Amino acid sequence: MKDAPLYLRPRVDPPLASLLGNAPLLHSLADALGSPLNVLLPEALAANAERFRSVYRRHHLAGRVYFAHKANRSSALVRRLAACDPAAVGIDVASLEELRHALSCGFTGDRVMATGPKDPEFLWLAARTGATVNVDSPGELDQLAALVRKYGLARTDVLVRLSGFESATGAELGGAGTRLLARRSRFGTPVAEADGLWATLERHADSVELVGVAYHLDTTGLEEKGRALERCVLLMDECRARGLTPRAVDIGGGFGVGYVEDAGEWDRWTTALSEAVLGTRPPLTWRGHGYGLRNEAGTVRGTAALYPAHRPTAGPGYLDALLSRPAPVLGRPPATLLLEHLHDLYVEPGRALVDQCGLSLARVEEVRPLESDGPGRYLVRLGMNAGDVSLEEHGVLVDPVLLPRGGPLHQGTADEQPADGEPVGVHLVGNLCLEADLITRRLVFLPRLPRPGDLLAFVNTAGYVMDFHAHHAQRRPLARTVAVTEEGGTWRWCPDENYWPLTHPQGVPS
Amino acid sequence: MRYDSITEAIGNTPLVRIDPAVHGLRHIDLYAKLEMLNPFGSVKDRPAWHMARPHLQEAAGGDGTVVELSSGNTAKALALLAGMHGLKFRSVTNRMRVPEIKELLLLLGAEIEELPGRSECLDPTDTDDPLTRFHQALSGPGNTYLHTDQYFNPRNVEAHAAGTGPEIVKDLDGRAPDWFVACVGTAGSSTGVARVLREHDAGVRVLGLVADKSDFIPGIRTLDEVHQVGLFDPATYDLLAPVTSQQAIDGMITLIRRCGLLSGPTGGAAYHGAVRQLAGVDAELEGTGRRQTAVFIVCDRAESYLSYVRQRRPELLGRARRGHSPATLGDDDVRARGRAVGVEDARRRIAEGEPRPLVVDLRGPHAYAALHIEGSVNIVDELFEELVRGGLPFSKRTPVLLACPVGERSLRYAALLSGMGHPDVRSLAGGIVAWRDAGAPLVRE
Repeated sequence: MKDAPLYLRPRVDPPLASLLGNAPLLHSLADALGSPLNVLLPEALAANAERFRSVYRRHHLAGRVYFAHKANRSSALVRRLAACDPAAVGIDVASLEELRHALSCGFTGDRVMATGPKDPEFLWLAARTGATVNVDSPGELDQLAALVRKYGLARTDVLVRLSGFESATGAELGGAGTRLLARRSRFGTPVAEADGLWATLERHADSVELVGVAYHLDTTGLEEKGRALERCVLLMDECRARGLTPRAVDIGGGFGVGYVEDAGEWDRWTTALSEAVLGTRPPLTWRGHGYGLRNEAGTVRGTAALYPAHRPTAGPGYLDALLSRPAPVLGRPPATLLLEHLHDLYVEPGRALVDQCGLSLARVEEVRPLESDGPGRYLVRLGMNAGDVSLEEHGVLVDPVLLPRGGPLHQGTADEQPADGEPVGVHLVGNLCLEADLITRRLVFLPRLPRPGDLLAFVNTAGYVMDFHAHHAQRRPLARTVAVTEEGGTWRWCPDENYWPLTHPQGVPS
Repeated sequence: MRYDSITEAIGNTPLVRIDPAVHGLRHIDLYAKLEMLNPFGSVKDRPAWHMARPHLQEAAGGDGTVVELSSGNTAKALALLAGMHGLKFRSVTNRMRVPEIKELLLLLGAEIEELPGRSECLDPTDTDDPLTRFHQALSGPGNTYLHTDQYFNPRNVEAHAAGTGPEIVKDLDGRAPDWFVACVGTAGSSTGVARVLREHDAGVRVLGLVADKSDFIPGIRTLDEVHQVGLFDPATYDLLAPVTSQQAIDGMITLIRRCGLLSGPTGGAAYHGAVRQLAGVDAELEGTGRRQTAVFIVCDRAESYLSYVRQRRPELLGRARRGHSPATLGDDDVRARGRAVGVEDARRRIAEGEPRPLVVDLRGPHAYAALHIEGSVNIVDELFEELVRGGLPFSKRTPVLLACPVGERSLRYAALLSGMGHPDVRSLAGGIVAWRDAGAPLVRE
């Protein structure tokens, strides 16, 4: 091979790194519970919540960090968060079942935020248990108020989700003067229609109480979020002038995760993708897939539909950056604005809160040379399918970690395979009888050719990648999920559903 | 020189020799083509005028809007040209990263539309970039947009093939230089100039400079981004090489401090890239008795890039400021000299004090207007910092109670004012937040 292997090696922080270092444990778990297998680290989640809280402390801000439950369906994770400081950590649920799950895991209603599309049952249970309802539209507010009255429920706390910030920025304040375009969202009430929303809130004052305003923008751009945040501070003032008493600004999630450790690897790979699309180097993907880039007369058009896998600023660091950059109209940083106006800050991280909290294991089932792709290319079939680790579906490109099986069984196999230690390019395919079942369309480089029986560990999959798209197609089993904890260098595990945030539930070891 | 229109002053820029003592090349004459001396301030005056002219004459005085994807010099030139013809100008960009340029464009009357950032929650089927949608909007029915399309418009290249290139040849007494060095943004200047120079002498070598991939230099694209430029043809360049923003600033400082050329970072990048490449060539020329000539472009001026420099080389700007400042206090000073009072004590002093204290609220005016302690005055902390720098802004006979959101900043100022000799200055412990939490009254303006 002429070129150096185009690795995209994962960022692995200490607890996960220590787990990966224990290959015998991971092999025995997969042997017992089957492939694929999801492994979660509840303690890492609590540590992440603490990192978000430390950003709050640095800026002297009050308010809760709400975990966006949709990122992972695990019970262990939700139970671990339920055990955190109730004033600091809550949960954001987006369906009736998520709400029931959160309550059963130990969250009391006052720590729950109900978001997303809501059916009457969801609204009723949220209102009944004292959850805060993040209202999407005036219509939903009418529906909620009607339920509260009809079933004699207590006055329900609501946040109103706003959208369409770009059209309203600045002009009337003589400020910013530039229009920041934003991706259109199907959620929330446009800021331009806020007057109607306030009137609806006042009409239902007997059944709902406004506790704050909310937004969630689907963007990595600090600028757009900073503007929306400032706009919310101004809108809170509008509410107060009308006699409403909101106290929190909910800025949603989208703080991001850095999947790839090295900026240089990410840069090299993305440059190579452009070159491959232009035809100046061999394809880097199955059938020359361009991830959205296309070649029009020698010019690259389109945009790569890829998650920015290397992110120097993500998670709590991103929140810190967002809170620290000066706002366009009032000039002071959002953290200062929130603090000075005595507002609480709510955030709803999903992916960022479960960063480094889990991995997905797959057994190597078959290794086959791909003669048509020239020497040194292989097809590696795994005991999982694309639904079990939905990297492609979320545009996340990152290498798995090879965990050799070791042991006498696999020593000294066929000589046509490259020698140990020589990097090799493989296509990772799934276990479904389906052409499109590729774990990733990217040609993945591994430090050496895997053998049947080895494990591949996809790290950092707890956010959306692990089970979001898992399915039963072709009667393939869903992955089992286990929770692991480390104490004094020893790892313990239990099925996800058996985990409770207690130390030594089975008794103290002697 | 007398002109009927400022547009006649576009072009015919000087070609200035760089002192060999500065660049150290012994067998190469290095010249700077000073495009920064165009009337609107940059190399983009030429293509802006050449691309817009046919549209402007047609549309003058109508209700049209000139539209371009630009975050800098092209936008500047087009905004001025549109204004001269009674038209509006709108800049659409996702690259507006230098605040002064943005403010300057607003001053020139431009409207700015900034494109959204990347999606956090990715939809893998959504591969249309914002630019594709922008182009769809421009070609929609009944629109009055005049899109100059600098990344694809051949008139961008022609402006340089007809102007910049021939001027260089003329100023070098009818000869093309051996080397031409340009930064690649729209690829207009490098493509246009290279074409003319090669017509004179097929042996001309062209060095294109791009920004280092994870870096940002105004007006230059990275190695990936050049592939998205319609005018970019790799065959134009004998070499493409990356430059970092630090190297661009190094080059800029050399041009400014040693050559009297008030170049911006892009010109600095061109100078740095040129000298780096030519050093090797110079060594090969040693002992051959041959001399070579090289030309690079200084595309705009330094003044608009102060924040760019401040971000990357703060030491080049600003020394520490003199006077009283809370920044000079250590935590020990704050603990030793800062006195704080709790909410109850503060309320008593405000109600019964003899004389009653002056309550200074250090929060922003918007927050103050929304809720504040009755009778307090608002001096926002930035302003207060300036005020105390010169001396005490209150009489020593007036007790002072300082309030900020949580009582941290106000305590620093209380310590500072005590150190400056004020006998009775206190900070509200826990700030306005503690005041509210204690249920003490706050009023709206």
